[in-house]
Amino acid sequence: MKKELTLLSTLAVAALVLAGCAADDGSQPSATTTVTVQADGSTDGGAQVSLLESVKAAGTVRCGTRDALPGFAVLDSSGEHVGFDSDFCRVIAAAVLGDAGAVDMVDLETSDRFTALQNGSIDVLVRNTTWTATRDGAEASTFLQPTFYDGQGVMVATNSGYNSVSDMNGAIVCVAKGTTTEGNAAQESSRLGLNWEVRAFDEVDLILEAFLAGQCDGWSSDVSQLTGLRSAYPDGTNALKILPEVFSKEPLAPAVLDGDTAWATAVQWAVLATIQAEEFGLTSANVDSIRSSTTDIGIQRFLGVEIETSDGSAVLDPGLGLPTDFAYQVVKQVGNYGEIFERHLTPLGLERGVNSIWSDGGSALLTTIPLNP
Amino acid sequence: MILWLRRNLFRSIWDSITTIVFGGIALWFIWISIEFVFITGRWEIVEVNLKLFLVGRFPEELMWLIGASMVAIAFWVAAVAGGSPLGTEPRLRLAERIVDYVRRFGLIFALAILLVVLSNSLDSLLWVGLLGIGVFAGRVVGRMRRDNKIIQKLPGIIWQPMIATPAIALVIFTLLESTLELWGGFLINFYMALISIILCFPLGLLLALGRRSSFPVIRFICTAYIELIRGAPLFVLLLLAGVALEFFIPPTISPDAVFRGITVFTLFTAAYLAEIVRGGLQGIPSGQIEAGKALGLSTVKINSLITLPQALRSVIPAQIGQFISLFKDTTLAGVALNLFDVMTVGKVITKQDDFLGQGLIYESLIFVGLLFWVVSYVMSKESQRLEKRLGVGIR
Repeated sequence: MKKELTLLSTLAVAALVLAGCAADDGSQPSATTTVTVQADGSTDGGAQVSLLESVKAAGTVRCGTRDALPGFAVLDSSGEHVGFDSDFCRVIAAAVLGDAGAVDMVDLETSDRFTALQNGSIDVLVRNTTWTATRDGAEASTFLQPTFYDGQGVMVATNSGYNSVSDMNGAIVCVAKGTTTEGNAAQESSRLGLNWEVRAFDEVDLILEAFLAGQCDGWSSDVSQLTGLRSAYPDGTNALKILPEVFSKEPLAPAVLDGDTAWATAVQWAVLATIQAEEFGLTSANVDSIRSSTTDIGIQRFLGVEIETSDGSAVLDPGLGLPTDFAYQVVKQVGNYGEIFERHLTPLGLERGVNSIWSDGGSALLTTIPLNP
Repeated sequence: MILWLRRNLFRSIWDSITTIVFGGIALWFIWISIEFVFITGRWEIVEVNLKLFLVGRFPEELMWLIGASMVAIAFWVAAVAGGSPLGTEPRLRLAERIVDYVRRFGLIFALAILLVVLSNSLDSLLWVGLLGIGVFAGRVVGRMRRDNKIIQKLPGIIWQPMIATPAIALVIFTLLESTLELWGGFLINFYMALISIILCFPLGLLLALGRRSSFPVIRFICTAYIELIRGAPLFVLLLLAGVALEFFIPPTISPDAVFRGITVFTLFTAAYLAEIVRGGLQGIPSGQIEAGKALGLSTVKINSLITLPQALRSVIPAQIGQFISLFKDTTLAGVALNLFDVMTVGKVITKQDDFLGQGLIYESLIFVGLLFWVVSYVMSKESQRLEKRLGVGIR
């Protein structure tokens, strides 16, 4: 009998101790929260602190990302984020803080990503996010240089006899739930009068099962995603083909909160540096030797090398709020745009295509802004 | 044997047909399962991501802290269990005892071996050994509490915190050394469940007593609380905790998702527990309470000496059932609060380059299910044993 009483009292004591520990920990994040409330600027009319300053003070960039986007951001078995988007988070950290490792990756669900940006729990969103008018406007986000131009397509079995989207009259098209994909597919079907039955699934693996079982005629998603899925298809890559039509534009771009120009500028130039570096032919491997030997004044400016002028030697500081060697740190620690692309997207079987840089005769989508004094 | 078969399975023509049909289906299912587990199943995804499954993104260099916490928790549990009074069952001989232990803990042991094999590291074997030592030490300490005359005299209010201190201290130390955001995997499911179980127990008791209180205000508050919480889906409460808690507390205090989860699970389970305990209390004949009153005992004494001990004993199965359900419900927190719990890990890792789009979600989720099943099954079995020892249903 007594035992129960003693047990009870223990539990009560344990409860108190644990409650104490909970309260103790609750006070820790409060320090960071105060910073973001200020940085948010929406609470009062007082002096606004740019995120650029609070990020430098905190020493880490909080990057909104994801842990399950093949090629763009996945968690490897050691718990590290790897992928195209994850590397652009590191690009921003390398440019602003000089350390590509100074990133807090915050995993966000599709539905939470803008809330996280608005309530200040992340500094920047690099999460396979399509730049749309509503998001730019109503979601109070500022989109910057797109890092990847994607578009939605349809994948079918090679032996299905479909050669273009317009062949697929009355087909069953399978998509993932909760993205723009679902709506786009329905829209395309009604535009072409194809009477598709659009079936939505929660998980990519479930679509795969349905597709293998012949329950779907077509599989619609962003071409980048389809390419990755195709390369891993159990029956071999050639058992599937991606139809040539791409029926939506998906410029995937990093986003920051509206009303913080200094921070937006910093993120913008971090991303642009990767494209400019590819144009200059600078890679993480050769940037050190080129930096010390080059006589090209453009590259010298870009890498923050001292340049002899009539007034003596000086380093170009364009006044972006970034260290003068930001581009060097980006290229050295993460790499140029092409390197990042080849590291994560080429293995999935993606071609550079529209994502070639402008100077390579690609589209004018990935172009750079001159870095002149 | 043949006689047994005839008598039980082939007694009449219809019996024979049923046996053959359902036996065939059963065998087919068994064959499919064995084929999947040993032949077609591709378990590399579990092997490679074992650390993510167990502790998420917890820093490698602090892993020893988790191991040490587990040893301390094992010590604590073993000390509490070892200190329980002798049952009525006859003392077993050594051989019988070993059989008994294998039956009780063989499954946990098999899981430990499986994890060691999957982890491919000697360190994990070392930790399993240390866990064993922790259990043994806890048992010795528990036995001392039961048998040693001097230690017996220590009041429970000193003794119980003493044996819990290493575990609580280590968990808090781990919390201070690492950021909570990096905790993940089965670890947070386990901790959330453990802490919620510990916290909800006293709350549930108070609510049960409060609902039977003769003070109308207390009775009303407790009843309202219980009915309100029991009327809402757990998932909704979790979602609310993730979003709506901000409305009630100052914005500068933003508790971590793990604490939100623990809060909801504690409040939720306490309401259910209160009803379970109340059921037990109602089974106590009112004559006992009246007898207590006639002796001049206070309400606190009547409850703590007469009614609660009997009530709690009689509702052990329902209580453990509630705790097992709480343990499994922690996976809901992964979705509702965006925690990196074991279920989330199971889904996320199928997107890794090596495993993408190969339908490996089955392997991954089956492993998650296995982890929960082993722990829940052992909990359930131990509760049955406790019931037997305390003589529920006999007395």
